[in-house]
Amino acid sequence: MKVVTGVVGNDIHVVANRLIDLSLRARGYDVYNLGVNTHLQEFFDAVVETGAEVLMISSLNGEAEGWGREVRLLKSKYKSLDDVIMMIGGNLTVGSGNAEDIVARYKNYGFDIVCHQMDLNTGLDMLQDLLEARGLVSEEAIA
Amino acid sequence: MSLLQEERDIIVSNEFVDAFDFAEVAEFVTNASKELFISHHFKNKDKMLVQPRGGFPTYQQQFALYEYFVKANVDVLPLTIDSNTRLNDYATAQKMLRLSEENDKDMLNGYPLIIHGYRTTRNMITNFDKPVSLRHGTPDARLLVETAIASGIFEIEGGPITYLLPYSKNFPLDKAFLYWKYVERVCANYSELNEPINRESFGPLTATLVPPCITIVIQLLEMLLSLEEGVKSFSVSFAQQGSMMQDIVTGAVIKKLAKHYAEEIGCGDATINLVYHQWMGAFPTNMDYADQLINLATVIASMVGADKIITKTRQEATGIPTKEANAKTVADTQYTLRILNGLPTVVDEEEEEILTQEVMAIMEAVFNDPADTLWRKVFNCIKSGVIDVPFSPHIINQNEMITIRDAQKNIRIIERGNVPIPDKCYEYERAQCDLTKDTTSIVNDIIHDIGIMQ
Repeated sequence: MKVVTGVVGNDIHVVANRLIDLSLRARGYDVYNLGVNTHLQEFFDAVVETGAEVLMISSLNGEAEGWGREVRLLKSKYKSLDDVIMMIGGNLTVGSGNAEDIVARYKNYGFDIVCHQMDLNTGLDMLQDLLEARGLVSEEAIA
Repeated sequence: MSLLQEERDIIVSNEFVDAFDFAEVAEFVTNASKELFISHHFKNKDKMLVQPRGGFPTYQQQFALYEYFVKANVDVLPLTIDSNTRLNDYATAQKMLRLSEENDKDMLNGYPLIIHGYRTTRNMITNFDKPVSLRHGTPDARLLVETAIASGIFEIEGGPITYLLPYSKNFPLDKAFLYWKYVERVCANYSELNEPINRESFGPLTATLVPPCITIVIQLLEMLLSLEEGVKSFSVSFAQQGSMMQDIVTGAVIKKLAKHYAEEIGCGDATINLVYHQWMGAFPTNMDYADQLINLATVIASMVGADKIITKTRQEATGIPTKEANAKTVADTQYTLRILNGLPTVVDEEEEEILTQEVMAIMEAVFNDPADTLWRKVFNCIKSGVIDVPFSPHIINQNEMITIRDAQKNIRIIERGNVPIPDKCYEYERAQCDLTKDTTSIVNDIIHDIGIMQ
């Protein structure tokens, strides 16, 4: 199972990005890590290039909100991205906000899984559940 | 005209620079007060020098900050540069300075030195007659350093590795080496006119579980790159790591090996100083706890035998500190230093031996690289992962090394990647940690180990 991951926008916070990378590998995923400071189009290009099934975007500085709005428009320009699982996590708003509202907004932008200020492993379990529900993986193994 | 001077003429012919007069600057440096040179203070000091951090957008704010620092009995003043200037975006710095001056809101996170210019800034520096240290984070600091020295700032922090790997995703590392070579040569040339210009490396790097051997190797290499261009006064540095023992061992090894390698390249006449940074990781939001952490760091700096300490503030967790909070740390740190007397000498020979072997093995691998110059050797070794900085955002960094804390909170290497840590040392490091855990628990441990002071 291939995952493209990275930090969106002009955000240089690298610590969680490294830990996501480590945790995904430990769970058996093939990881394509674009690192910090990555623009939306670079994510989509990488998904096309690698044939990844999952796109996992993270954000700490809250900038993802501004980028999120463009997801649908940009995604529609690509032909092969309809089945890609779109996941986003981290700190998803500037300042404070109600988690329920934030999750609803991001789902509306086109994300399948939204993890606002959530423990990393809980988020990765959610991904596992969705992959199983879609019949993409068995309960035992990812790879 | 030399090639360097031709390049200097081009660098200062910038639309944001108001007529740079090299002859006048040389005369100013030649006749400048000794008090402005930190190298002079290092030579004559009888205590650890205390330096805070701080930079504000406007001249008036910076002046007021210095007044507070001087009242708090500061030894070295900082000039922290805004992020636009660091990225050579002087147009944005100019616009944001104007907005900051017109409104009562700071639109810059530091002092835009290029926009203020050296004639204006020199008035402030000479007015206080204290040594000033340039703090920035700039990969291409050629114009910034010309302007700083012309302003009377005679300590320049940074380096091609330490100002790039923690701060940038894709600024080309080979360019950074060449831009910093220019800086070293300019500092070396000015050092012949009066007391030496001091160069300081930035040891904290990412401040996130960087093992001491990597910190020391990078400090030594930036020192050698500086000394080989003729710099005569250099400070190696590192930040509080989380274990008092590891800090003391790091201090002992870095001092010993800095001297060793400086002599090795025939630069034993240069003065090497040691700088200690108070905790550079995530701070507690509770300001009373933050004060305790700052105080503990001061005690450890004394145990380490640092020549200078760089302070934090109790407002670290919340953003850019006020001048009051910043001055309070200076006064508190001076007080702690005054009452800290009769410190015992602590030595851990086994740890010192292990760390020395690790550093020397990596240094040997760098020197054995077939490239023809030191900077190219270092470049190749970073590219191949012989030098690997945990949590660097830069694309050239290997990111194969994994570190965690042992029970004593020492930072230990559990995956060495391509770094040539000798087998014996590697086994010792791993033996200090519980490696039976699965990756999920290790990741949770890493998260905890990063936020250890919160």
